[in-house]
Amino acid sequence: MDNKIKITSFEEGMVVKISGDLDSSKCFLYKEKIHEYMRTYGPRHLIWDFKDLTFIDSAGIGLILGRYNEIERVKGTMGLIGLNAYSRKVISISGLFSLMKEYSSLKSFLKEEKISI
Amino acid sequence: MSNSFELKFKANITNELLARNSITAFLSPLNIDFEELNEFKTIVSEAVSNAIIHGYKFDGNKDVYMKVTMYEDEVELIIKDFGVGIENVESAKRPHYTTRPDLERAGMGLTIIETLSDDLKIHSIPGMGVRLIVRKKIHPLTYVNE
Repeated sequence: MDNKIKITSFEEGMVVKISGDLDSSKCFLYKEKIHEYMRTYGPRHLIWDFKDLTFIDSAGIGLILGRYNEIERVKGTMGLIGLNAYSRKVISISGLFSLMKEYSSLKSFLKEEKISI
Repeated sequence: MSNSFELKFKANITNELLARNSITAFLSPLNIDFEELNEFKTIVSEAVSNAIIHGYKFDGNKDVYMKVTMYEDEVELIIKDFGVGIENVESAKRPHYTTRPDLERAGMGLTIIETLSDDLKIHSIPGMGVRLIVRKKIHPLTYVNE
């Protein structure tokens, strides 16, 4: 699978879909792309879509945590969708579930967090 | 019967992929699932990035060594560097411990390796380097490439 990042919008938020491997060599570029979007649109919420993620390590966890701090600063919410057993395990070991929740879809995130679109 | 391979590569962060792909190729004759294979890849990636980032401080002239041995029901991974070493192994193993917060990594590398593996030993002499020995069970044991 190709390694790529795709950013889409929803009201006051962004969905960051990462496909392929999320490792040290990708994190810098992905962070730049996310920041570019943040500067332009100022989203409050960020959803990571890992449906097509094939690899993650602590560099990827660092990318998530770094953005979490930024979303937290604007009192927004971060969520995760599309996790498989493997990515859920790495994310769980890293303690991220104490900071954010997993949702079954963007729709259920919006519903649970009472965000209107 | 045990099978093994050894790899020596420069401490360049792009070689993480080389290290990951080598273990994927090595384990591919075994019929292990995506999740288990990926756990091996994550372990290798964490160990190799520790050697490159912390051991060698990104000095791409230095060498990282990796040896992988397959035993009957487990795989042993040895990742070795001759870098700065770890002053205090117990502190380094603590979740969210990092000496490089500027790099925006999670400080979770050793915690991830320890959790995903069945056994982790860290031998380090400050100034001499680090040798990580990881053992991880494999399931199932269908060896299709006799």
